[in-house]
Amino acid sequence: MFKPAKMAKVTLVGPKDYLEQVSKTLHKLNLMHIEDPVEEDYFKIGEPLKKASTISRTLVQLRSLLSYLKLEPETYDAKRRYKAEEIAAQLDKKLEQYREEIEAKIEEIRVLTERNRVLEDEIKVIEPLKELGIPPKLLRGYIAIKCFVGMLKADPTERLKEITDQFEIFLKEVKGGYLAAVFVKVEYSDDFLIALQEHGFSELAVPEIEDYDVRLSEINSEIESNEAKIKSLEEELEEIKAREAEVMVAIEEYLSMEMDRSELPLKTLVSKYAFVLTGYVPEKKVNELKSVVESQTNGRVAVDIVEGKSESESPTLLENPKGIRNFELFTNLFSIPKYKEFDPTPIMAVFFPIFFGMMLGDIGYGLLITVLSLYLKRIFKTEGWQGLLNIALYSGIVSIIFGFIYGEFFGPFTVPGYKPPEIHFIGVALQSIYEFNHGHPLFDRVEEMGVKVLLFTVLVIGMFKILWGFAIGFRNVYVEHGLKAAILEKASWFIGVLGMALLILGFAYNVNVFYHLGEEYPILGQVFQAVGLGAEVGENIPPLPLPGIAEGWEAGVNNFYKIAVPLIVIWFILFLMEEIPKMGAMGVVMAVEILTWFGQILSYARLLAIGLSSVYIAFVVNYVVPKLMHTFIPIPIVAGVVAAVLMVVAHGVNLLLGILDPGLQSLRLHYVEFFTKFFEGGGRVFTPFGRKKKFIEEE
Amino acid sequence: MAEALISDEAFIKGCAAIGAGLAVGLAGIGAGAGESGIGAAAVGAIAEDRGFLGLGLLFTVIPETIVIFGLVISFILMFAF
Repeated sequence: MFKPAKMAKVTLVGPKDYLEQVSKTLHKLNLMHIEDPVEEDYFKIGEPLKKASTISRTLVQLRSLLSYLKLEPETYDAKRRYKAEEIAAQLDKKLEQYREEIEAKIEEIRVLTERNRVLEDEIKVIEPLKELGIPPKLLRGYIAIKCFVGMLKADPTERLKEITDQFEIFLKEVKGGYLAAVFVKVEYSDDFLIALQEHGFSELAVPEIEDYDVRLSEINSEIESNEAKIKSLEEELEEIKAREAEVMVAIEEYLSMEMDRSELPLKTLVSKYAFVLTGYVPEKKVNELKSVVESQTNGRVAVDIVEGKSESESPTLLENPKGIRNFELFTNLFSIPKYKEFDPTPIMAVFFPIFFGMMLGDIGYGLLITVLSLYLKRIFKTEGWQGLLNIALYSGIVSIIFGFIYGEFFGPFTVPGYKPPEIHFIGVALQSIYEFNHGHPLFDRVEEMGVKVLLFTVLVIGMFKILWGFAIGFRNVYVEHGLKAAILEKASWFIGVLGMALLILGFAYNVNVFYHLGEEYPILGQVFQAVGLGAEVGENIPPLPLPGIAEGWEAGVNNFYKIAVPLIVIWFILFLMEEIPKMGAMGVVMAVEILTWFGQILSYARLLAIGLSSVYIAFVVNYVVPKLMHTFIPIPIVAGVVAAVLMVVAHGVNLLLGILDPGLQSLRLHYVEFFTKFFEGGGRVFTPFGRKKKFIEEE
Repeated sequence: MAEALISDEAFIKGCAAIGAGLAVGLAGIGAGAGESGIGAAAVGAIAEDRGFLGLGLLFTVIPETIVIFGLVISFILMFAF
C-alpha cells in the first residue's frame, strides 16, 4: 500500500537446450516481467520455437470459429476447468473434429447463402420482364432482327423514328422510367443502341427460360429449401456450440499459452549454446522463482539477482488490499505511477466514495445505485466491470449514509416555508423517523445556515487535501532529487498555502464565523470552545488588521494571523530562492501563483454545489408535479397515476445526472486539485510473462 | 414615487438576487465556451488513442472551476445581505 511493489532485477542464464523448459516454468509461475533485450556481438535475439508457426495458424483458425459461433473466451463462464494434459491429449482429435463438423457446416452455409443471392438476382431480372408481358422465347433467338430489352429513362420513340420507321417498340411505364423491348433489323442495331443509350438505356439479360411464372416458382421453392437447410445447419451449429463450448475455450487458452511460450525466445538473447533472460520479479517472490527454476532444470539454469542502480527503470506493480484494489483503475486512468512514486490509490479509495456521497447524499438514490451495482455485478463478470461496479457499490453505500445525515429520500422533506407533506410524497413518515432530532435531519443543506456550514466544511476539506498533496509531493521530490529540491519545490508552497489558509481562518474568526457555527450546531460549538474559538469577537473589530488602513488594527490581531504572517514570510523567501536563479528578477511575478492554490481550495465548493443542484431538482419534481397534475387533470386517480409516472421519469433523469456528475467531479477533485501536487506518472506497467488461466489448470 | 413602492432593503435584496443569478449564469456561459474547444480536442485525441480518456476528461472539466467561483460569489451575495 502507498508504494508500488518492490522489484528485484534478475537474470537467467543457461544452456540453450533448456530454454523450452524455462519458458514453460516461467509461464506457469507468471511472476517475471521480461525486458526486451538489446543485441550484442555474441548474443542475438532468439527465434521462436519451431512449433510457433503451426500453433499460430491453428489458433487463428480456432478463433475464427469461435467468433463465428459468438463465443468470447473473455466473458465465457465455464463450469469446469480442464487439466493441461487432458487438452494436450485430445487436441489433434478435437481440432480435426471441429474442422470436419463446424468448418464444413459454415462452408455449406456460405455456399447456400451465395446461391440464394444469385437466385434473388435472377428474380430481379425476371419480374420486370414479366411485367412487359412478352414471353421470353420471343425476346431472343432472332437472326435478322436485333432485340433490345431493358430500362429507359425516357420514351425514345421519336428519336428512333429519325433513324428508321421499320421497328417495333413495346413500352411500359414503371417506377423511375420505362421498361422497353425494341425490335429492329440487324443493320440498324448500332444506331439504335446509340439512340437508346442517349435515353439512359440499361440492358436486361433475357434468361434462358420457357415461362416466367414457372421459373419464378422454381426459384422461390429453391430459396425456401435453401433457407430451411441453412436453418437446420445453424441449429446443428448451436447444438455443437452447446456441447463443445467449454472444450473450445479451453483449447483456445491452451493454444494461447503454447503460443506465449514458444515466443519467449524473441525476448531472449542467445549465443551458439547459451541463453540470457533479463527481467524484474517482485522482491518477495525472487526466492520462489530461483528455487523453482533451478530445481526444474537440475541446476543447469542459474538465476542471479542484479544489484545496482538500475532500480529507477523497474516496472510498476501496484499493491493494495482487496477492496482498495478496485480504485487502481482510477489511478491508472490518470497515469501509471513511476516505480519510486507514491501510490495514491488508498487515499482515493477513501475520499472518492466520501466525496461522491457528500454530493449525492440521498437515501433513495443511494439505495438504487447500490442495488443496481449489485445486480450488474452478477451480469458483467469481467475484471474491469467488477472493479467499476465495486466502486459504484461503495459510493452508493456512502450516499445512503450521507442521505441519512442530510435527511433526503428522493429529495428533501424539510424546506423552509413548506410543510413536509406538501413537498414530499412520504414527508410525514420521513419526519417521524427523525423524531429523535425534533423531526429535523441531522444536517439540513437546503436551509441557509446549513449551506453556510457545508460551504465552510468543504473549504476546510479543500485546504486539508491541498496541503496533503504538497506533503506527498515533498516526499516524492525528496526521494528522487534530495532534500533541498523538495524544500524549494514543495515545502515552500506547503508553507505558503498553510499561511494563506490561516489568514482566511483568521478573517473568519474576526467576522464571527466560528461563533455563529457553534451557536447553530452545539457539537461544533463545543469543539470550537475546546480549541479556543468559541468567543464572540464583536462588531468593531477590523476583520483584516492592516496598520495604517484599519483603525484600531491591534484589536483585530488573533492567533491565526500571528502564525500566518511568519509562514507567509518564510514562503516568500523560499519562493524567491527557487525562482530568482531560474527566472531572474521577473520571477517575483510568479508569486501570483499562490492565488491558483486559493482558487483550487475554492474549487472544493463543488462538493456543496453539485449536491444542491440535484437536491433542488428532486425538490421541484416532488413539489410541482403532483400540484400541476391535480390542477390540469380533474379525475384524481388519473392525475395521481400520471404524476407518479412523471415523477419516476424525472427522478430517473436526476439519478442519471446524480451518478454522472458527482462521479466525474469527485474524480476531478482528485485528478486536478490533488494529483497535480505530487503525481508525475509515466511508469511502466508490470506485465509478467504468463497469463491468468480461466479454463485450464496446471499442477 | 419609488420610495413608496419598495423599501431600500428590498431593493438591495432584489439587486443582490439579480447579481447572484448573473454571477452563476455568466460564469456558466464562460465555462461552456471554454469547455467546448477542449472537449472537441479531447474527443479527437481519444479517437486516436483510448488511453487518453482519463487525461481528456480531466482537461475538459478544468474550466468548470469558474462556475464554482460564480457560485461562491452568488452565495456571498445571497447570504451576506
